[in-house]
Amino acid sequence: MEVAQVISLSPARHRDDVLPGEGVLPVLPALAGLLPAGGLVRGSVVTAGSFGLLSLALAAGASADGAWCAVTGVPAAGVRAAADAGLDPARLVLIPDPGRAWPQVVASLLDGFDIVLLCPPEPPPAQLRRKLEAAARRYGSVLLVAGDWPGAQTRLQVTGEEWTGLGAGHGRLRARKARVVASGRGAGERPRGCWLWLPGPDGSVTVAASAAGLDGLGPQRLISSG
Amino acid sequence: MSTVSASTGTSALGTGAGQRRVLVLRCPDWLTGEEREPEAAARAFEPVIGVVEEFCPQVEVLRPGLVAIAARGPARYFDGEEALAARLAQAVSGRGTGCRVGVADGLFAADLAARSGPAGLVIPPGETSQFLAAVPVAALRCAESLFDVDGLPELTELLPRLGIHALGEFAALPAAEAGSRFGARGLVAHRLARGLDPRPLAPHPPRLDLSVEQEFDPPAGQSEPVVFTAKSLADTMHARLAAHGFACVRVQVRVVCADGRELSRMWRHDGLLSALAVAERVRWQLDGWRAGGGQDAEAGGIILLRLVPDQLVRATGHQLSLWGDAVVSDRVARAAIRVQAMLGHTAVARPLLSGGRSPADQVLLTPFGDAAVPQRPPGQPWPGRIPAPAPATVYPRPHPASVTDSDGRAVSVSGRAQVSAPPAWLAADGGPARAVTCWAGPWPVTERWWDPGRARRQARFQLITDDGSAWLAVLQDGRWLIEARYD
Repeated sequence: MEVAQVISLSPARHRDDVLPGEGVLPVLPALAGLLPAGGLVRGSVVTAGSFGLLSLALAAGASADGAWCAVTGVPAAGVRAAADAGLDPARLVLIPDPGRAWPQVVASLLDGFDIVLLCPPEPPPAQLRRKLEAAARRYGSVLLVAGDWPGAQTRLQVTGEEWTGLGAGHGRLRARKARVVASGRGAGERPRGCWLWLPGPDGSVTVAASAAGLDGLGPQRLISSG
Repeated sequence: MSTVSASTGTSALGTGAGQRRVLVLRCPDWLTGEEREPEAAARAFEPVIGVVEEFCPQVEVLRPGLVAIAARGPARYFDGEEALAARLAQAVSGRGTGCRVGVADGLFAADLAARSGPAGLVIPPGETSQFLAAVPVAALRCAESLFDVDGLPELTELLPRLGIHALGEFAALPAAEAGSRFGARGLVAHRLARGLDPRPLAPHPPRLDLSVEQEFDPPAGQSEPVVFTAKSLADTMHARLAAHGFACVRVQVRVVCADGRELSRMWRHDGLLSALAVAERVRWQLDGWRAGGGQDAEAGGIILLRLVPDQLVRATGHQLSLWGDAVVSDRVARAAIRVQAMLGHTAVARPLLSGGRSPADQVLLTPFGDAAVPQRPPGQPWPGRIPAPAPATVYPRPHPASVTDSDGRAVSVSGRAQVSAPPAWLAADGGPARAVTCWAGPWPVTERWWDPGRARRQARFQLITDDGSAWLAVLQDGRWLIEARYD
């Protein structure tokens, strides 16, 4: 019975028959349920909407596990927030302004860092995207894009948010409840969503509403699970 | 000028074990500061090296603040070692740098001599063993900063308990006894106590050329490509040394400019420096040279970089890591240096959490490869600090904004921290004004009121606009700025 319970709590990993291992970088427990592989698949491209805590939090689990992370094109990356979410600043390298040569910079970084978080200064043309995707595959690193990337294997996005703690002239920001929706490229992929504390009162990222950390998108889930 | 080749195993300090006359110059001010900022210290120490070079072209830099030269040649020229030591001390102190000079047989004894007396001692030839004999065994600790040896501090605690208090008493033991009783460190200590080098030089240094070099055509005007090349050259050099089972005690870095000027420096290696660490020393050398005006526009860029391993010893199987480099994996370092070669040294930064009130103050960025120095301790309380959670977007320079009340007037804060009216509209980043749904503040902060140049009086606000975004805004000198965004 206990085994059954465990399985029902982590349906994502079992359904896709992919277990976190060599080819998958771990993510924070709160985010694992959103990703089909339970983590970031090495060699893949993952988008996280526009830059924000979600993109930093996606790298946090792997960083805490020993992975090196490079952030480029984001001069305003909040290192304190990243650290509070679990990202180890000792294994973080920032290239705030990669300039016009950003594609070469990203390609160099992919050959060295486990995760490269990129905010492209301009929408990259398809040919360039394919080149960088190939570089990520070759070096087995993860390209995490804060922005649009048509070829991405996995897309995450904050679709709703609500801050608590602040009133009209009193209080202070304490926590944000955010709905994060993940969708994949494959035909069998259906969007998954969940409510997260992004961040919680201490800056950490945890599951907010559903105990399992996973709920489908209402009606779609009802239909597909029949 | 410095034509000594590593491959023959000769060196600035001579080859004969035990009979080398060595002069050590210690600058105590540098040696205490070095722990904190090795890069800055190395660059600023360059002029002192220049002074020493006028006495002897081949200077071995053990670390910033500690150099050694072979004493025999210059002493002959300056009419005696005493005169040489006095002149050198005078020349260095003439630059405002306090120093101590010691001369003796061998590096260890010369360093101890520099530490002795009011300003160092000159131990006459042949009297080094007498000098060492009276030195307490605790002095063996000093060898750690000179050679690649370890385990000596434990030995200095053990020996007095066994009734051995002076180096002379230890040296009197048969070498085999010292080895069987105290192991490898005992043998090293015994050699040091007898005035010998800790490890014998490789007995028959091969007549191989293990040096590596790279020409630059067109000449390299910037340091970065040279430093980048130095990394791969050092990799090649290490591989060649390893293939022959050697490590080098020192590495000579020679840089030649298009107009023929050249700069050569000797760095302590001991088989411990990673390729990255060698590249780092090349950068220190170039920066120091440039700062000193040695390499200017007329020099026409760098045409040749040559790394020469010096004083070969049998490799003892050390890991190639030292001074924090162990933390950075080689693969990461290679990628970071490649990007630095493209964008410049400061373009790649490592963050360090630091203390401070504003979110931007709480992170210190240090160029990759430099040692980070926390200026403000993160663990201490900073009254007025914005409480957790921290914002995910922190603008390096706050963006101008406008915060207005429901009548369209700019919101202001009185000296008694009263807002003129509740904020109703926020326009950030030149975007359209958005309605403010929630807000709190002002949180007044007065920083560094004792320093007029850096004093700040600010009032912070947290605001949420109708699109759900949360902002950290600050009112300073009547102007509204957005410091950070919670997204």
